[in-house]
Amino acid sequence: MRPSRTSYPLSWRLMDAVEAVAAAVWPRSFSAAVPWLMLMPAVVLVGLLVLGLWDMADGSFRTLDTATFLPSDDYSLANYDRAFTEKLFFTVASRSLIGSLIVTVITLVFAFPYSYVMVRTRSAALRKFLLIALFLPFFIGQVVRAYGWLIILGSQGMVNEALGLVGVAPIRLLYNYPAVLFGLVQYMLPFAVLMLAPALTAIPEEMESAAGSLGANWVRTFIHVVLPLAKPGFIGAGLVVMTLSLTDFAIPAILGGGSQDFIANAIYDQFFRTSDQGMGATLALLLVAVGSIMVGVVFALFGAGTLAMGRSK
Amino acid sequence: MKGDRSKAVTLWGFVIAALVMLSAPTLVVLGASFTAGNMITFPPEGLSLKWYAAIAGATDLRDAFFRSAIVATICTAISIPTGTLAGIALAKYRVRFAAGVQIYLLLPFTVPLIGSGIGLMLIFGKWGLLGQLWPVGIACAVINLPFMIWAVTASAAGLDPDLELAAANCGAPPLSTFLAVTVPAVTPGIITGALLMFILALNEFLVSLLLVDARIVTLPVQIYNSIRSIITPDLAAISVVFIAVAAIAIALLDWLVGLDIFLKSK
Repeated sequence: MRPSRTSYPLSWRLMDAVEAVAAAVWPRSFSAAVPWLMLMPAVVLVGLLVLGLWDMADGSFRTLDTATFLPSDDYSLANYDRAFTEKLFFTVASRSLIGSLIVTVITLVFAFPYSYVMVRTRSAALRKFLLIALFLPFFIGQVVRAYGWLIILGSQGMVNEALGLVGVAPIRLLYNYPAVLFGLVQYMLPFAVLMLAPALTAIPEEMESAAGSLGANWVRTFIHVVLPLAKPGFIGAGLVVMTLSLTDFAIPAILGGGSQDFIANAIYDQFFRTSDQGMGATLALLLVAVGSIMVGVVFALFGAGTLAMGRSK
Repeated sequence: MKGDRSKAVTLWGFVIAALVMLSAPTLVVLGASFTAGNMITFPPEGLSLKWYAAIAGATDLRDAFFRSAIVATICTAISIPTGTLAGIALAKYRVRFAAGVQIYLLLPFTVPLIGSGIGLMLIFGKWGLLGQLWPVGIACAVINLPFMIWAVTASAAGLDPDLELAAANCGAPPLSTFLAVTVPAVTPGIITGALLMFILALNEFLVSLLLVDARIVTLPVQIYNSIRSIITPDLAAISVVFIAVAAIAIALLDWLVGLDIFLKSK
């Protein structure tokens, strides 16, 4: 005989009650809106960002009143004019752009062999070791890693002390452009390798054997088979490395020691040194625009690739 | 086969260079934290744990660590439900304007961190929320949310829609189906995403720097402020905390879902 309803476990009855409430609040006829309801919290959260951008846009049209040190009430394009004409901003912008290009190229040169060995190795232990070596710095954060470089490269750091032991005078390894670029390459490597890896995994190993059995040596196999097939991965990785290094703050600040400012450092200084919020907002918005255009162009040309979220087609 | 040797030598040359680059700062920080001297020198002046004793007694460093932990906890607590729901919605349903929604939800990645940080600083400032820790946690959730959504959608691809239909066919109401079938199917993604969110928020530097004031500095900001003055070994010792947390997170990730998931092609 069927047991009476009261003998059902409490959790069942609880769940039934919740279902009844849910059905009452959200009848089945609304079901088309369910995905939107599920997306709502994320949309609201990202909405904070949109509000912030809106606020920055508003601020960027107000100049700093040097008499009261308050933003002006009326709108003008004066900040944008300054951003494009003042030499300081041009220097900083070109330093960041050239720097991020160099960093992207070097990072990809190192990321590709790393990714390739990691994907192709037959040894599970080696693969795990390479993954751990990749994730550890990725999970440690920029400040601690930059601190490590200070210890290694500083004027009384390991490299200089070691050089001193063999009688070489200390070399200034820090607070210059190469130090910043080096730090950025180190920071970007895990991102680049992790974005290249899925693209390389997708290339069947037989393709390479086929190229080999047709007489191509490994260099030609790489150039004509692996690299072209890995192109989406290279584009995704290059894009991420480029935008992240273009907009980085911590590495130029710590390893550049104030003399090698990138755009983000200039923006920070506008807000916290000169207290010119309007100018800072202008620079930040221009950086957002440059970053979004870069991402947009690549997406338009090659699709969202590795970054895509959502239904697998 | 001919040329295999030169291939291996070339590849390994790059891999070893990359390994040195990746690991050198971590190893050096670890080594420096055990120095017996008052300065970080090379070669080290002997081993001791005195800098660990020093940080255990330093209330400012300890408080900064707990603040970072609170921020990371708030960030994770917000992003788990938000990212899971959004991820499942994107993976499972044919949402109208899906492409637009995706571009919108990728905004935290396309907007540079300095831009997001300043924007959030301006609106939190306008609403009078600055000087507290929970807005920093929310900010970290905003800027890293795509990681959480990505992790969930990636594992939802393995969710067979027939399973949900089967559950419904057996009489399970929608909410029960969701909790008993859909959510367990994406659990590996939720775990991966949550770990990423926690670690990234714990380490978050720039957005923290913009949103905190002198009374509530988080640990990365505290370290940044200190290395601008003098480099002492106590910073190395406190940095080891980050290294330890990162190691634990990697071990957890490997044990629960396997690090190999990052190599999979979609």
